[in-house]
Amino acid sequence: MATSKGSFSVEDMKNVQINIGAVVKEADEWDQPMGPFPKPNVATLRNWDFKLCDRYKIMYSPADDTCTLCTYGPCDLTGNQKGACGIDMAATCGKIVLLAVLIGTCAHTAHGRHLYHWCLDRLGDMPFDMGDEILVDAPLTRTILGIKPKSLKDFGEALAYCEEEIAQLLASCHTGQEGFYKDFESKALHSGMIDSLGKEICDMLQTVAYDMPRGAADAPLVEIGLGTLDQNKAVLIAYGHNLAAGAEAMIYTEENNLWNNVDIGGVCCTAIDLTRITETGRASKIPANLGPKVKVAGAMGWWRKMIRADIMDAVMVDEQCIYCDVLEDCEKRHVPVIASNDKIMLGLPDRTNDPADAIVEDLVSFKAPGAAILDPVKAGEVAIRVAIAVKPKRAQFKKDITFNEQQFKETLEKCTACNQCAFVCPPHIKISNMIAEALKGNLEPFSSTYEVCVGCQRCEVVCPQEIPVLKLYEYANREYIQNQKFTMRAGRGPVTDTEIRKVGAPLVLGQIPGVIALVGCSNYPNGTKECYDIAKEFVDRGYIVVATGCMAMDMSLYRDEDGKTIWEQYGGAFDGRNMVNIGSCVANAHIHGAAIKVATIFAHRNERANYDDIADYILSKVGACGVAWGAFSQKAASIATGFNRLGIPAVVQPSSVIYRRTFMGRTDKPEDWMVIDAKNGQMQQIEPAPEALLYIAETKEEAMLEMAKLCFRPSDNTQGRGIKLTHYCDISMKYFGKLPDDWHIFVRDVKDLPLMYKDQMMKELEAKHGWEIDWKAKKFISGPLRPADVSFDPTNIARKIRTKK
Amino acid sequence: MVDTTKNAIPFEMAQIPGPEMAKTYMPKVIGAIIKKAKRPLLVVGAELFDDPIMFDKMIEMGKMGIPIAATAHSVKGFVDRGYLDNVYQIGLHPLTSNLRFGDWMGLDGKGQYDVVIFLGIFYKFANGMFSTLKSFNRNIKRVSIDRYYHVNANMTFGNMAFTPDDYHAAVDEVIAAMKK
Ligand code: SF4
Ligand code: SF4
Ligand code: SF4
Repeated sequence: MATSKGSFSVEDMKNVQINIGAVVKEADEWDQPMGPFPKPNVATLRNWDFKLCDRYKIMYSPADDTCTLCTYGPCDLTGNQKGACGIDMAATCGKIVLLAVLIGTCAHTAHGRHLYHWCLDRLGDMPFDMGDEILVDAPLTRTILGIKPKSLKDFGEALAYCEEEIAQLLASCHTGQEGFYKDFESKALHSGMIDSLGKEICDMLQTVAYDMPRGAADAPLVEIGLGTLDQNKAVLIAYGHNLAAGAEAMIYTEENNLWNNVDIGGVCCTAIDLTRITETGRASKIPANLGPKVKVAGAMGWWRKMIRADIMDAVMVDEQCIYCDVLEDCEKRHVPVIASNDKIMLGLPDRTNDPADAIVEDLVSFKAPGAAILDPVKAGEVAIRVAIAVKPKRAQFKKDITFNEQQFKETLEKCTACNQCAFVCPPHIKISNMIAEALKGNLEPFSSTYEVCVGCQRCEVVCPQEIPVLKLYEYANREYIQNQKFTMRAGRGPVTDTEIRKVGAPLVLGQIPGVIALVGCSNYPNGTKECYDIAKEFVDRGYIVVATGCMAMDMSLYRDEDGKTIWEQYGGAFDGRNMVNIGSCVANAHIHGAAIKVATIFAHRNERANYDDIADYILSKVGACGVAWGAFSQKAASIATGFNRLGIPAVVQPSSVIYRRTFMGRTDKPEDWMVIDAKNGQMQQIEPAPEALLYIAETKEEAMLEMAKLCFRPSDNTQGRGIKLTHYCDISMKYFGKLPDDWHIFVRDVKDLPLMYKDQMMKELEAKHGWEIDWKAKKFISGPLRPADVSFDPTNIARKIRTKK
Repeated sequence: MVDTTKNAIPFEMAQIPGPEMAKTYMPKVIGAIIKKAKRPLLVVGAELFDDPIMFDKMIEMGKMGIPIAATAHSVKGFVDRGYLDNVYQIGLHPLTSNLRFGDWMGLDGKGQYDVVIFLGIFYKFANGMFSTLKSFNRNIKRVSIDRYYHVNANMTFGNMAFTPDDYHAAVDEVIAAMKK
């Protein structure tokens, strides 16, 4: 079908082998006409949102029965009652959800705004060039705004758009504005989309300005772990998400030839982004190949453990996900703190305009515990100089920072087994039992729960005996900490067009069973290891597994029998049986981008200002599922909501119930699963695929089973559905000991049945579900919801019905 | 007799939802309520694996005709014990999602439930799912026989997380009351 001059759709050309050789450079001018929705405002995509919400029923789990937002309150909303302003519980939950999603969206967008000014000031405008392998280069910007940025400066228009939408959305949260829950969720979905755009802007800016990998499957392996920081050198920790000041610390170290004197370790996403700097060797104002010279100290969840392990001499914080007591923790241990971004100033004096020498002198002599320095160049220089100069002076305090055996024992003895700590510990660690065992000389519980502990410090806050539980952990695990040395593949950035050409067809037809995206933070229900286990399960099964942020870091901390980390076990291409580190949180935008590119590059849909069409394609045809197994932040809320608006479902861990809102389909309502067949406009019932948009799993086993199920799509061909069903059933057999109760609703044809279970399943279909089977011909006479139809072109949007021309 | 009415503090202390907080009850009262229910549903989670004897107690209840929703991967515990008669494998989240709709026909297609009894579920998650029902389907009675004080239930035990023997005895008393 011709769609526009020079392009055609392959949707109805099933079983056609298409070989596309070298990527042809597109003409400069965009051949796509402007789509229907350039720069959508708050209400523009409401129809699409309502379609999603009608199928995926908004479900609230109030974390609070009252509202105190205005002075009429507190209002008791229990039982969906109304408050004085007339709002009910559902809408109040919707309002809180929107606020959380907006906070996340603002964090990413403001990060982008900071980088925009910083990159242009420091390095000047640069052409926006993602290299020959990536011609669909800013998929979200194109899809949402309908523009193609040509230089970094052009992202200013996209930022201004985000900022206007955020202001409009936040205004709707005022008392006496929006009052209907479904509209709050439409607004939250809008914010989620803006969040995805804000992230794309951030990562595109830094990728070009700092010459980061542009889709490099072979991005270098970098060192990760607390034990990688060389204690013979001074150690500077750069903690947060915005690389500006950390990058300057690296440049200062390079230019002054100081790598023998100092190690720089990153914490949280700053770590990932620092390891990506100038890796491609293009001409740059920044020294080449800097990234692999820094180390990844660890994910955010390790912060309190690492400060107690005394492995750092100075800390520089930038923005997002920084523990608010970072200064207190550092001051106690004589670790000077530099705050480099105005979003987090920690009460420190603003010394941006003071001479570097004076600031260094004050910090090294401990006259001041820290300083705010909002010029990244000066902050970077001061941080390195302070780390090097303070290291010898800190030696005198070492003995107070960590326990010796005597102190460890004396502290254990103070425990009265009152269990107050157990009442507040998120993963329910039985701390008093652990202490009792340690008193008997058994440190095993302390080591086996070290990664289960999320480092929240609540136990220490409530303990009447003032027992520093995390310090006990540090002593019991000191050998592990010294030996925590692993590798992580540096974030590779976007998925290339060539990779999409290769995987587009198998992904849409189901032969590659899905894309599994492990994203988000470190608040794991049962320890770091679970994110490794989940990744390993799916990559071994042939899924495309991508990771970002803290999940990518934490899954690096394990080795297989051959001593290889997960990044050493698998290639880094966007392909089945590959393990892809996309990058930091903001690089999540490339996961959206990859899904969009399947629609544009493989299926030749126009992405330009055409968001709902692309989202509809992804929901119906791209088997992808996100998992945020440690999600804690508002950014995680906005990330998930952004995935959801684009038609990508996500599974979250049980603590995520505090986010209050999920999207769950009703599999018992056939009328909810009607879609249009775009080839003839007829309505067709489909199996509930995907059955939910935001699903809370109680355990990793449940998460994995659900993720396999959420990769089903109506477009699967029989081979693809067979493969997906095989994994779904296999995972169930492996962890649940039986087949899932609902496997049969995904069967359309005998050819859909997994070979391994075929005979057993056919018998069960007949006996238990009453299907009529022609045993001779091995065919179903009746039973399935619909036949498998290779020409079926599911859509939820009436304008996609193909009209004969 | 175990006094299950003590320690009525949320197991996660900061879970104070508002004016309506669960009351604690003795096992025999809870047992009588379950017995009287027309459409009860026992909802169990993966914490049973930490205290496997609980699977046997649940099977005992199952054999008394109470259907069991085995959430997370807890169904494995029933498979291993060879009991699947009225055990349904379903996540707590989709289950609760269905429970909030009056027209849902239940796991057996015979109608919505009138009493749900939770246990063995990660506290924060169970608490959140109770909260959904507390605000959005008040026709279902929310009962907890877990080892925690469940603040968003209608009926619950006090905290017994650190007294496993008492807790086991309390569950046995519930079962005994159901048999009366
Ligand atoms: S915003 Fe409405 S519900 Fe909230 S306190 Fe004010 S009147 Fe009450
Ligand atoms: S710091 Fe660790 S042990 Fe202490 S309450 Fe938090 S998770 Fe539990
Ligand atoms: S709160 Fe303190 S004293 Fe009480 S059990 Fe926990 S560690 Fe021991």
